[in-house]
Parts: sequence; C-alpha cells; structure tokens
Amino acid sequence: MNPFITPVMLGQVIISGLLAGSLYAMVALGLGLIFGVMRVLNIAHGPLLMLGAYVTFWLFSTVGLNPYLSLLVSMPLLYLLGMLLQRFLVRRVVDAPELSSLLLTFGVSIALVNVAQLAFTSDLRAVEYLTGSFVLGPFAFSKSRVIACAIAIAITVSAFLFLQKTRLGKAIRAVSQSREVAQVCGINVGRIHMIAFGLASALAAAGGSLVAVMVAIQPEMGQVYTFKSFLVIVLGGAGNYPGALLGGLLLGLIEQVSSLFLTTQVNEAVAYILLVLVLLVRPTGLLGGRAS
Amino acid sequence: MPPILEVTNLTKRFGGVTAVNRVSLSLDAGRIYGLIGPNGSGKTTLFNCITGLVRRDAGEVRFKRRRIDGLKPHQVFHHGIGRTFQVIRVFPELTALENLMVVTTGDHARACRRAGELLRFVKIESLAGEYAGNLSYGQQKLLEFIRVLMTDPELILLDEPAAGVNRTLLNELLDAVRALRDRGKTILLVEHDMKVVMGLCETVFVLDHGEKLAEGPPGVIQSDERVIEAYFGR
Repeated sequence: MNPFITPVMLGQVIISGLLAGSLYAMVALGLGLIFGVMRVLNIAHGPLLMLGAYVTFWLFSTVGLNPYLSLLVSMPLLYLLGMLLQRFLVRRVVDAPELSSLLLTFGVSIALVNVAQLAFTSDLRAVEYLTGSFVLGPFAFSKSRVIACAIAIAITVSAFLFLQKTRLGKAIRAVSQSREVAQVCGINVGRIHMIAFGLASALAAAGGSLVAVMVAIQPEMGQVYTFKSFLVIVLGGAGNYPGALLGGLLLGLIEQVSSLFLTTQVNEAVAYILLVLVLLVRPTGLLGGRAS
Repeated sequence: MPPILEVTNLTKRFGGVTAVNRVSLSLDAGRIYGLIGPNGSGKTTLFNCITGLVRRDAGEVRFKRRRIDGLKPHQVFHHGIGRTFQVIRVFPELTALENLMVVTTGDHARACRRAGELLRFVKIESLAGEYAGNLSYGQQKLLEFIRVLMTDPELILLDEPAAGVNRTLLNELLDAVRALRDRGKTILLVEHDMKVVMGLCETVFVLDHGEKLAEGPPGVIQSDERVIEAYFGR
C-alpha cells in the first residue's frame, strides 16, 4: 500500500493506463471479431500475437529492420496464417459445440508455442530500439508506449472504418448477425470466415510487433494476451465491437491505477478478479452484447 | 420450354424422421405456384433443400436444366434463386440500405441505384438510414422482400409472405408478386392463408408428412378429399 499518492502520480497512471489500454483494445478487437462472426473463442489469439513479436524480433536482429516497419510484414504474414488456420482447422468446429472449438484452438495454441520454442528457443529476447521518455510538465511517457498507442489507435480506427463502411466489412457484420440469411444473400460464408480469422490474426500480430519493443519476447508471452483480450470482450459485451474499445481502455486504466495501491504480484491478479466480478454481476458486458 | 425448376424424388431425413420423402415438382417459368400443407409437412425443409441450406439425402434439383443440389447456398443464389424466411430475417444492426447492399452483386453503383429504386418501390425510402431492427414488423417484411429482388432472381421462394401482415400491406405485396410474374419471374410460395393461395397461385402443391399429396389448380385442390383429410382429419 502506498500512502503517498499525489495528483501527479494519479495523472501519470491514468495516462499509462490509456496508453496500454489502446493496445489491449486493438488486440481484443481481433478476438471479438472471431467470436462475433463464428462464435469461436480463439485460445490461440495470444500465441498469434507472440508470433508477431518474433517476426519483428527476427527481422530486427537479422536485417536490422525498423520494428515499426516490421508491422508491414508481420500483419500480412499472420493474416495468411490466420486464413490457413481457418481454412484447414477452425472451419471444422465452427458449428460444433463450444467445447470442440475451445479444445481445438487450445491445441493450436500449444502447437504454436512449441513451434516457437523449437525455432527460437525459450531464451528471453529483446528488441532494443527505442528507449527513453517524452517529458511533458510533470509527466513522463515511455516513447515506445506512446508510439505503440498511436499506431494501435490508427489500426483500430482503420479496422472500424473497414467494418462500418466497406461492402466486405458489411458482409462480415451481416454474417455475424445471421449466417443463414447472409448465405441466401449470396455471401460466401466460408470466405468471410477466412477473412475474419485472417484480420483477427493480423490485429494480434500488430499487437505482438508493438509490444516487442517494450517487453521481453519469449514463446509463452502470448497466453496472457488471450486472457486479457477475453476479459476486454467480456467487459465490453461479446459481439459488441465498440464495446471492445471501451473494455480495452478500461482494463488498461484499472490495471495501472490499481498498481498504485497494490504490489506488483498482487496487481497481476486484478484482471482475473475483475473477470470473475463482471461475469457474476453483468455477464452481458458493460454496453450489453448480443446474447449467445 | 423446359421447366425452370425440376425437383425429382427429393428426400431429406433428420435422424429417424423423413422430413421430405421422394417429392417431385416441376415449375414452369413465369407462373406463381403455391406450396401448402399442415405444420411439419416439410415445406420449409423443401425450401432449404432447394436453396442449399440443408443438404438433401437423395434426389435431384435442377434449375434451368443444371443440377443445383449439392451446391452451397451462395452458389444457388448466384444461379438466380432468391428466398425469404418464415420468420422475418433482416440484419437488425445494419441499416435498411445496408441490408440491401450486402447482397452480393457485381457493380457497386448499380447496386446503389437498384437499392434506391426498391426502397421507393415499397415506399420506405425515408427509412434507408434506419437500423433494420428499429423498423416495424411490416417494414421489415417489405425490406426482406425487396432484398430478394436486389439481383433480379429468376425464381423467388417466399416463405409465408402474408403472415402477420395487415390487409393494406398484404395487397401491396400481392400486387408486387403479380407484377414480378408479369415480368417473367417464377414464384413459389408457402402460405397458410388459403384466400391468398386461391387468389394468387396458378398451381398448388400439397405436402403432408413429407410427401406430395396432390397437385393442381387451387379450385380443384380445395375440394380434394385427401387434402381436406390431411388438414382436418377424417
């Protein structure tokens, strides 16, 4: 417990919370997209993020590519991988009971982690590219977090505009509202599912590439993001895309503000406790999702 | 002219229940057909088999002479078959206009024009930007109906178009159906309202327990003893 909390400290954690939250929101939007479109909870979402981080690390350490430019590689690469996963594996469990899709994506998750261990070993890796902070009055912002936040916002906004404005985006929303009707409107649902899974994986990859500059990279770094993304979509309401944004920002804020009062170890539990609380008190999410 | 739709010995089982049992029908282009039968007689399953939403167990469906059984629903759609559902199915969280625009068509500008025409055709153009979920029952029904027309399909399957619709709206819908027929479209409709069936359809098929019980002009069907028995019991 820290008895000396000043307004500056509070301001600092709020800003840090929003910076972290924008990243959570972007990653969770991917998980929420897959859930909304095909009612599959993708346990492998975090490990896909981990792969994105390794793509950035690998490009940085071999050819010295700017980690932020590596998004242009990691996102398309993971988009393709996501499409393949959907085409050959996830497709088989879309209409199966939830347990089947949980088991399948859990298996994919284990496989991805093990492949990363084989390819990169379990050593902790780092992309030492951008250190230091921007200082504004009494506040200091880690440069890598500010840039990550800006890119995450740009990507999230683009994803939203894509879903809202383009015909393909509308087709994706149509499939998530009623698959049968979408089919008789001539929409190829199998193709839409592949695109949605690809997009979601690309969002995870973007998250991975952005955190690569901030945290240690190792094969098991991803799982916690699956969990946090799950919490974010529960907070925002399953199937409610704007809700995912709110949920992300909230999670970032809560984690940071609670860090003022709690030790680091206890603070790790805050998200978990929050999840249990939300599921108990308001299982449809803060904004209310569609019943599933 | 060969029939536009030819269903031969179509069979669909769900577990131990035979929902559709060796049903054959043949539709000529430019006519309105009715499909009637007691609840659970297999009418909607037959629709689902034709549109590819469920896979038939046996039999053939030919549309303009080409086999379409075994195709995916979106492929059947692209052959030129549109349908509505028994319970209204619009996309509630898309606007009325978006509900039309998601229908897969080639050219975007043409689709926009067509959507505008159709919204005016059923007089709901002022609601184009409204979420479909906020429209009244009747408006949603109209929206679902014009969504079928976005691509100008050759064959239109309507599942209970008259259900829950007030008389004014019903007359508009029926006029629209006749207008489509006059433009050479073929319509097959499931309907419980006998007045609608008698006033609209040129040929009626009767299903009972998944089998085709009778077929003929509405006047003849209405007095067919087997049909009366199927509906009211002996």
